[in-house]
Amino acid sequence: MTAATETDRALVDRVAKGDRAAVRLLFMRHHARVYRFVARQTGSEMMADDIANEVFLELWRQAPGFEGRSEVSTWLLGIARFKALSLLRKKKEDWIDDEAAAAVPDSADTPEVVTMKEDKAAALRRFIDALPEEHRTVIDLAYYHGQSVTEIGEVLAIPVATVKTRMFYARKKLGDALKAAGYDRGWP
Amino acid sequence: MSAAEKMSRRDEMETLLPFYLNGSLEGSDLEAVEEWLADPAAMTALGEAEAEFSGTSAANEAIRPPADALSRFAKALDAEAGPARKPAGSSWLAQAWGRFLAVPVGVAWAAAAVLLLLIAVQSLVQPGGKGKDFEIAGAQDDLAKMPFALVKFKPDAKMSDISAFLGSNGLKVIGGPTADSVFRIGIPAANAADYAKQLSLIAAQPFADTVIEGRKPVDGG
Repeated sequence: MTAATETDRALVDRVAKGDRAAVRLLFMRHHARVYRFVARQTGSEMMADDIANEVFLELWRQAPGFEGRSEVSTWLLGIARFKALSLLRKKKEDWIDDEAAAAVPDSADTPEVVTMKEDKAAALRRFIDALPEEHRTVIDLAYYHGQSVTEIGEVLAIPVATVKTRMFYARKKLGDALKAAGYDRGWP
Repeated sequence: MSAAEKMSRRDEMETLLPFYLNGSLEGSDLEAVEEWLADPAAMTALGEAEAEFSGTSAANEAIRPPADALSRFAKALDAEAGPARKPAGSSWLAQAWGRFLAVPVGVAWAAAAVLLLLIAVQSLVQPGGKGKDFEIAGAQDDLAKMPFALVKFKPDAKMSDISAFLGSNGLKVIGGPTADSVFRIGIPAANAADYAKQLSLIAAQPFADTVIEGRKPVDGG
């Protein structure tokens, strides 16, 4: 456990006692990541703005019940995930961003054409963005949020084995997309 | 080991690579990946995962949270929790800072010098004296003995810019904000020269409004 995470927990203890400065400090530390996590899930920055604010108000409300069984960042992402899901279900929106999915190169584009359009790094970023939400989320949580397999399971409320399966298929899809675009890749 | 089994092992290692890169892998999984990476052929796979790591970070960092998010949140919090109380034990430092902010710019730094003197005197007259320091808004944590600076950010500063700057320079917000939105920024400097360098760096940022020296490293005399 790092000093920073201990400090997060100490701050949650202060929030539980009604310390508003502590909740603002936690907001400063974690808001950008929570905001980006929701924006990536929902595809809407407006929704991310509302939900991220709600997450920290929820932190204010739930701090007395925080038992410290997970890292504060994992807890916040779990709340964000739940709120994003609830809102999306309410709005009956599709999980997969059709526009982004359509951006995956199809058979009409030859590898040469795609290669001319962009370098490998740009292509990879585009393919990551175009992954189905359930795959992109595990990629985001591992690479950007630094979460472990177990923590991702907690955030998404899924078994560890499912986290690994989603990671496997996410990386496989990225490999397939790169290969289709003409980039050599050792795996899959 | 059959070809199928080899492929299965490779798939498993490829699945664990993102967690190896983010430092969260441990135990037998960590040992298995490290053993697998000893094979030069596996280094290509590590390179691919690193490219994914960079691509994912870039995609996320491209999303910029609104600059006024904190102020809007503070209003929402006040609406939920009622009017803010005056900070408990509103410290002499917060009061001094308030006075400092109220004076004209031309004499502000002279006031800062006085404030620094007050800080020095305060640390000397504390019961138990040596090493005892003041606290802001009751901050008590493991970073309490870290060298720090007092920083006020510009109202239009973007949180994402501040976070990125702090993160890339190993700086941490370890206290605050006070009622006047002053943050205590922990500076992991080993000596006074490092500390001064970091302080200048913070002051040079476009989002920094005011930067005042706090506790220096032990040799910081």
